[in-house]
Amino acid sequence: MSKEESGRRISTARAVAEGIATEMRLSDDVFVMGEDVGVYGGIFGSTTGLFDEFGAERIIDTPISETGFIGAGIGAATEGMRPVVELMFADFFGVAMDQIYNHMAKIHYESGGNVKVPMVLMMATGGGYSDGAQHSQNLWATFAHMPGLKVVVPSNPYDAKGMMISAIRDDSPVIFMFHKGIMGLAWMKKNPRSIGVVPEEAYTVPIGKAHVAHEGKDVTVISLSLSLQHCLDVAEKLEGKVSVEVIDLRSLVPLDREAILASVRKTGRLVIVDEDYKSFGLSGEIVATITDVDPSLLKVPVQRVCYPDVPIPYARVLEYEALPTPDKIEAAIMAALK
Amino acid sequence: MVAQIHCPMLSEDPSVTGVISTWFAQDQQRVTEGQVIAEIAIDKVTMDIPAPISGVIHILVPEEAVITSTQLIAEIKD
Amino acid sequence: MIDDQMRLKFYKEMVRIRTYEEAIRREYHADKTPAWDIGAGLIPGEMHLAAGQEPVAVGLAANLRKEDAITGPHRPHHLALAKGVDMNKMTAEIYGRTTGFGKGKGGHMHLFDPENHFSCSGIIAEGMPVAVGQALAFSRRGTDNVAVGVAGEGAVNQGGFHEAVSLAANWNLPVIFIIEDNEWAISVPKSASTSVKDNSLRAAGYGIAGEHVKDNDVEAVYEATKRAVDRARKGGGPTLIEIQTVRLWGHFEGDAQAYRGEELKEAEANDPIPAYENKLRSAGVIDDAAIAEIKATASEEVEAAIAFAKQSPEPKPSDVYLHVFA
Repeated sequence: MSKEESGRRISTARAVAEGIATEMRLSDDVFVMGEDVGVYGGIFGSTTGLFDEFGAERIIDTPISETGFIGAGIGAATEGMRPVVELMFADFFGVAMDQIYNHMAKIHYESGGNVKVPMVLMMATGGGYSDGAQHSQNLWATFAHMPGLKVVVPSNPYDAKGMMISAIRDDSPVIFMFHKGIMGLAWMKKNPRSIGVVPEEAYTVPIGKAHVAHEGKDVTVISLSLSLQHCLDVAEKLEGKVSVEVIDLRSLVPLDREAILASVRKTGRLVIVDEDYKSFGLSGEIVATITDVDPSLLKVPVQRVCYPDVPIPYARVLEYEALPTPDKIEAAIMAALK
Repeated sequence: MVAQIHCPMLSEDPSVTGVISTWFAQDQQRVTEGQVIAEIAIDKVTMDIPAPISGVIHILVPEEAVITSTQLIAEIKD
Repeated sequence: MIDDQMRLKFYKEMVRIRTYEEAIRREYHADKTPAWDIGAGLIPGEMHLAAGQEPVAVGLAANLRKEDAITGPHRPHHLALAKGVDMNKMTAEIYGRTTGFGKGKGGHMHLFDPENHFSCSGIIAEGMPVAVGQALAFSRRGTDNVAVGVAGEGAVNQGGFHEAVSLAANWNLPVIFIIEDNEWAISVPKSASTSVKDNSLRAAGYGIAGEHVKDNDVEAVYEATKRAVDRARKGGGPTLIEIQTVRLWGHFEGDAQAYRGEELKEAEANDPIPAYENKLRSAGVIDDAAIAEIKATASEEVEAAIAFAKQSPEPKPSDVYLHVFA
């Protein structure tokens, strides 16, 4: 996806909606449920335009009953439908977690493979705009930790549409997590990479495959979501000084361990940038991916630029002290080069 | 031919301003008729601006700029 | 029996709250131009204001002691102010300053004033179980203090609401569940989300008392909540009260409310404060001079609180690591 590519450009939010629309046009089994997904178009724009095209029958506004409607999505999926259900904020998973991790994740396994749950649970994540502890989390590691759920986290419009189509076509339950900061919303400051070229036709981006977003040889930077956009900004800034290889994980489950190893074999130096909490999460898993195979691949200790183990504060000066901002990414790259 | 893209009528009140929140098209890019080329925000309501003809777009007003009703913001030359 | 002195107090308190919400609204938007960016300005993030819902807070709080508890929702300002929290500390918290209730960590949806037993939560309905817990503590300690959980009509469809009421009913706890029915859960109207028109009818399903208050009437709120508070204090257990109110502004500041259509104009015509003002004027309780004085006093207090907040220091960046554990 080079910047110079010509073609129709849209925001990540519209790309998500377009992915859903593409599959809805192909099959009546696909429908959408969630809070304010109808006329409103989704609080973060994920269903923009869908109500106009498909109407209230297939784009369904639910009451504030997450256990109820997520459970309903699961049940409908077991009966062959392919629901796309939206949890408004990832932070709200608490009220419905049993349906997600004891039902959505486990029914296929418990049934010996006889029952499928081809459902997509999409949700907004992320902070950086002072929404506080209960509305700014990422939590992809929490979902990735529970076997039975695929977890995808796009960083840009092209991947968002392609992975949504893949997610809907996937017979397994997929958690689809979009950072609010990549959606390209009119009312939230955006990184230019939130708007990008997206083909109008149907296409897929594979789940479980990372992408080399920027080739390099001095240091590997592994990231995802909004942080990936920051990593690319830093890599371009350092062009000519440091050759940075940026890997966009795109999926947590399945995790593309081969891509991680291939890049670290090349550079020997690793920086992980993850806006989810640092400990007991994704960054540790990436390190273990390497040390499980060959710790000597690493020439220096791994730099982890992650959200620290603290609830997310409201005041901007506090939140930004903790967020994995571009200056911290750059400092970590330089530290990894020592 | 040249098609001029003006900011739409935002309000009967001429003092009401909008903001170009997003240019989907890039300067000098070829666009197709009907393609959404920009998003304008007027007091939190957003409007899509479609390209009236196909051609090469010249952007005259940058993203995040404040604009007024009927202001010229771009031209498309086929 | 509501006398004129109480009526005057109700009016003053509602004006105080409205003045506050209008000022916060002004401040919130002031530095988000020209391109509106939710994360920008001295008050960043989401802002949920309670204009129109003043009667609920004022009528309720008139029955409460300092030691009684209120747990509010994501739209808490009217409840906090009516409960008697310090306006300076509340405003400083909204501005993210160290002099705020949460030292800048909580923000507008997470206001905690232990001295006045006021707290709120940004997760819909999840303040209700907490209110039940407060009632449990009061009951176990042998006091006759009560706890109040406040949520919107959208919250009644959330599992946590049902468990909270169910448990409180089962344990006969001194808790009052207040449902602020402003008819809208962001863009979803009550008619599209709730199988009963009147949520107070659900009380029968739990074996507890239920009451419905119509027309956003502060005096009716006072009387209904008085019955519930008295019941709770005497060991009569929980009450579920649904109060018909109005959300004059958006769900959050920045909400264009295109989904409300004509109903928004009807709502604006039902602003409870001018209506109450006219009622009191007709009854000779207040005149233009008194109204002007009340508004001026409110404005003075609010602007002073805003000034206090703006002059207060911002937290040190390294403070982000404090208060994870006790």
